Amino acid sequence: MSEQMTPQTPQWWKKPDVKKTAILWVICTAVIGYVGVEFHVRNMVRPASETMSGVISLMRIFTWAAAPVAGLVAAMCLTVLTSKRHYGDNPPAEADHQISNSPRATSLWIVVSAFLCLFALITGFIVIQKDAVALLDKNAIQINVTGQQWLWSIDYPNGARSEDLYLPVNKPVVFHVTSVDVKHSFWIVQMGVKIDANPGYVTETAVTPDKIGVFDLRCAELCGLLHAYMQTKVHIVSQADYDAWLSVHATMEKGA
Amino acid sequence: MSVETHAHHEHPDVVGSRNRLGVILILVADIAFALSMVFVYFYLRGQNVNDMWLPAATSDHPAILPLSATAGWTVTAIAAFGLLAHFYGLKGVRSGNQTQLKLGSLVALVASVVAIVYQFNTIATAPFTFSDGAYVSCFYMFAILNFVHIMLTIFISLGNWNRARLGIYNSDHWHVDIVNVWWVWMTVSSLLGAFALTYP
Amino acid sequence: MTTVMSKPVSAPGKSIVEKLNFFTALALGAISAIVVWRLALQILPEDTEVRLFTREDKITLLSMTAWFIGFMTGIGALVGPFRWLMGKDLTHEENMFLAGKDMGVKRYFRYTTDHKVVGIQYLVITMVIFGIGGILAMLIRTNLGTPEGGWIHPQAYNSIVGTHGIIMIVGTIIMVTGPFGNFIMPIMIGARDMAFPRLNALSFWLIVAAAVPLIWAQFIGGISTGWSAYNPLAGQGPLGMDGYIMFICIFAISTMVAGANITTTVVKMRAKGMTWNRTPIFIYGVVASVALALPAFPVFFLSQILSAFDRALDTSFYNTAGGGSGWLYENLFWIMGHPEVYVILIPAVAALMEMAPVFTRRPLFSFNVAVMGIAGISGLSVLVWAHHMYISGWAPLLNTPFMLTTELISIPTGMIFLVLIGTLWRGRLWMTMPLMSIFALLWNFMIGGVTGIYLSDVPADAFLHGSMYVTAHFHYTLMGAGLTGALAALVYWFPAMTGRMFDKKLSWIAFWMVQIGFNIAFVGMFAVGLAGQPRRVEAYAPTFNTGNMITTGGAYLIMAGMLVLLYGVITSWTSGVKAPKNPWQAKTLEWTVGYPVPLENFDVLPVVTSDPYGYGKAKS
Repeated sequence: MSEQMTPQTPQWWKKPDVKKTAILWVICTAVIGYVGVEFHVRNMVRPASETMSGVISLMRIFTWAAAPVAGLVAAMCLTVLTSKRHYGDNPPAEADHQISNSPRATSLWIVVSAFLCLFALITGFIVIQKDAVALLDKNAIQINVTGQQWLWSIDYPNGARSEDLYLPVNKPVVFHVTSVDVKHSFWIVQMGVKIDANPGYVTETAVTPDKIGVFDLRCAELCGLLHAYMQTKVHIVSQADYDAWLSVHATMEKGA
Repeated sequence: MSVETHAHHEHPDVVGSRNRLGVILILVADIAFALSMVFVYFYLRGQNVNDMWLPAATSDHPAILPLSATAGWTVTAIAAFGLLAHFYGLKGVRSGNQTQLKLGSLVALVASVVAIVYQFNTIATAPFTFSDGAYVSCFYMFAILNFVHIMLTIFISLGNWNRARLGIYNSDHWHVDIVNVWWVWMTVSSLLGAFALTYP
Repeated sequence: MTTVMSKPVSAPGKSIVEKLNFFTALALGAISAIVVWRLALQILPEDTEVRLFTREDKITLLSMTAWFIGFMTGIGALVGPFRWLMGKDLTHEENMFLAGKDMGVKRYFRYTTDHKVVGIQYLVITMVIFGIGGILAMLIRTNLGTPEGGWIHPQAYNSIVGTHGIIMIVGTIIMVTGPFGNFIMPIMIGARDMAFPRLNALSFWLIVAAAVPLIWAQFIGGISTGWSAYNPLAGQGPLGMDGYIMFICIFAISTMVAGANITTTVVKMRAKGMTWNRTPIFIYGVVASVALALPAFPVFFLSQILSAFDRALDTSFYNTAGGGSGWLYENLFWIMGHPEVYVILIPAVAALMEMAPVFTRRPLFSFNVAVMGIAGISGLSVLVWAHHMYISGWAPLLNTPFMLTTELISIPTGMIFLVLIGTLWRGRLWMTMPLMSIFALLWNFMIGGVTGIYLSDVPADAFLHGSMYVTAHFHYTLMGAGLTGALAALVYWFPAMTGRMFDKKLSWIAFWMVQIGFNIAFVGMFAVGLAGQPRRVEAYAPTFNTGNMITTGGAYLIMAGMLVLLYGVITSWTSGVKAPKNPWQAKTLEWTVGYPVPLENFDVLPVVTSDPYGYGKAKS
């Protein structure tokens, strides 16, 4: 924080506590940014779609954008805490100044936070736009998802129906999600997509899986007694395997 | 400092303005309540989930037709009349005319009783059951809001008239001013409901 | 013209206000509930429609309403209005009796209007709520210690989660504005009492009346929907949901009454010379909180009334088969729900801002920015509700504007940080538990705030929403920031409220145990959320076990710390060191009246000539 300059005191950036804070700021920012990013990236599931990779890089960007602010607060706290402490039942001597504001510091603070806010917004808008466009993809596989207490039913374009979700890799998919009883939430964890299943409405979300493997589909909205068990598997397979699976299941449905 | 050394001897104007603010703040809550009802009405009307805002005829049930909003406007008119009567009484007491106050508050009381009878009748004779779709649900919501508001109005008007009758407002009359605020809001809230029901 | 009214009420027998107390209220409430229950069983026709519960719901709701009316009548809440109706206003003697003049402990069990009594009542009920909510939290965490859960039945588990949620929300809403807003605030502004002392008593006793339906609910199926009670899940829920509905409705009335009362008191009754820029920042925090609740809670109230209609009368507000909409409920709920988190947070942060100059012996940094921050947060908070519904699909086009308003809140929140850190800077730290709480708040609220930015971002929220990450995030804000501030306020104002110092050593031990336990618990919870564990589950995939074990361990440490704090409260209150008149040498008015505080606080009303932050030595 700046202070009214008088000839006797050194210029504000030369004061020892300011210098100490500056050094700590650099260290704290680096530590917070690094730890924050690592904590998130290491704990997060491995991405199985571009959407999810996008989410992970968003969190990386936001963490590094927030790190200098958090680092400054931490550095100032550390500087303060490592000097002039007083223990006892009676108050310490009064501080040696009466500064009750600093227009320069406050306006700088507000301008910087406004810029950071704007940055977060723009970053978010770009991704939202991409997700909105994905919904309109005409070549996408159209899948109907119905939630009910406490399982998912998946309907494929050719009439097949399953409880597990089977999808081919690298093909865009649009999900049309609804529910027959209460609200559920359709969440393919490793693909970073989620949309609520509302009774009486159909909601939509889109994703393009980009890894072959078995992933998790969970309900993310409390839906009654067995909410915790309302989960199933998502199988991402090659196009050939998908076609084979689909034809077998379509005939099974017709046979039954 | 010397003026206010005893809380019990505060000037009636001070007490009155304090009470007025308190009542207005409580009305803020009631206004939020009524406005969210209007939101409920237009939201459900706009959504028309499963085409059940006004269910069409089925094999065992005729189509549900919206009621005319006249009933709602009539209650609003009665409330507005009560408001005018009360305001007449308030003007009386402001110019020191206690008789005018007694008359005005008595007419306001009668208006609120008429309103409750009318409102009750509207609810009792509505050709619906509660499970006849979203419009009907909203109709009952507004009707019951009005009913509760008018019940409160009866209580307040009764007290107001009684106190006028007993001559309590000879020295100061801030109670009457506040009751007037309530009457204004009661009328407006009734109008909100009538307005909404005009667009079934 | 008759002038009968100047005649005082003759008193051969005791006045009605002297006969009523907590026990008559309990008796009348219980009798009314039982009578109405029996009558409803007799009179109400059997259900003819296919829906199962409507008759039982009617009976339950009617009985609970009867309890409510009976209890409030029995405590004496209706005496004032009916005496007004009859034109026989309460006499001076009766008002003095209601204020609890010369009554000792009995005051706490009556419809007592003295703000100091109400403050202590709120303090005790807040501690009881946190005790119960904490025990429920321990049950949740114990059940989540192992992946398969198992020893609590899912139905009971869901009910525990819902009950923990709602009573902690209520507890944190009242934790600062209740005890300190009632006890300290009027003295702080130099008033003799609240603007409406009877409404003050009313707001407290309404909370007591509300508690019973919530307890009742536990025996008729519980609250199996989480605290948000989303419809249509709540519509198909057990009878316990009626208890939830009644609880919310009564509590909403209580916040409305308290909000009008506290706001009026501050606007109209500040001491002479206490202009707005000399009003302590804590007062701003309290008023912002209760005033924000005024427009917000009625919406919640309405959402529950409509829920009751759907359950008991089979209307179709949320029932999609009849044209209702679950999104309607979500909108109503979150229009209240988001301002509500700031209702919780603002007064706690403001309390810490109040303490910061005292414990650093320098003026508050940028009072104006602090006020702007509080005002900015309050103003924006009513425009952000739909960020809870990004992925509900109700209006995808509105996600962008709601993301805008949500992220704008980071600007006034940043102002709060600036004020706190600016006050600490170049101060003389008086190392006490309240001072360290400021650092703890900065730490916790920074984590809560930054994780909030991820959640406010629509694409990131599509991954994080509904996961344990969200749970950890709001515990960081409401508990890490809010509760930290409230505990500091307890230690800080303990001498003013009890005449004794809070045991220093115990306050330190409790502080570190709670803060360390808290950070262990919720960092573990962030981790499992990122790994993909949904909220409100009673069992989870084995991969989440490590994180959950860490969280459970941390939760036990919090509990141990809270027990130390409770022990500290009890021993300090009964046998602590007698406090000097102004132990912290603070400059606000509540430290000028001594202990015990006289019935009307001030013999001579004070006149304020400067702001209360005149610490520090002027530069020569």
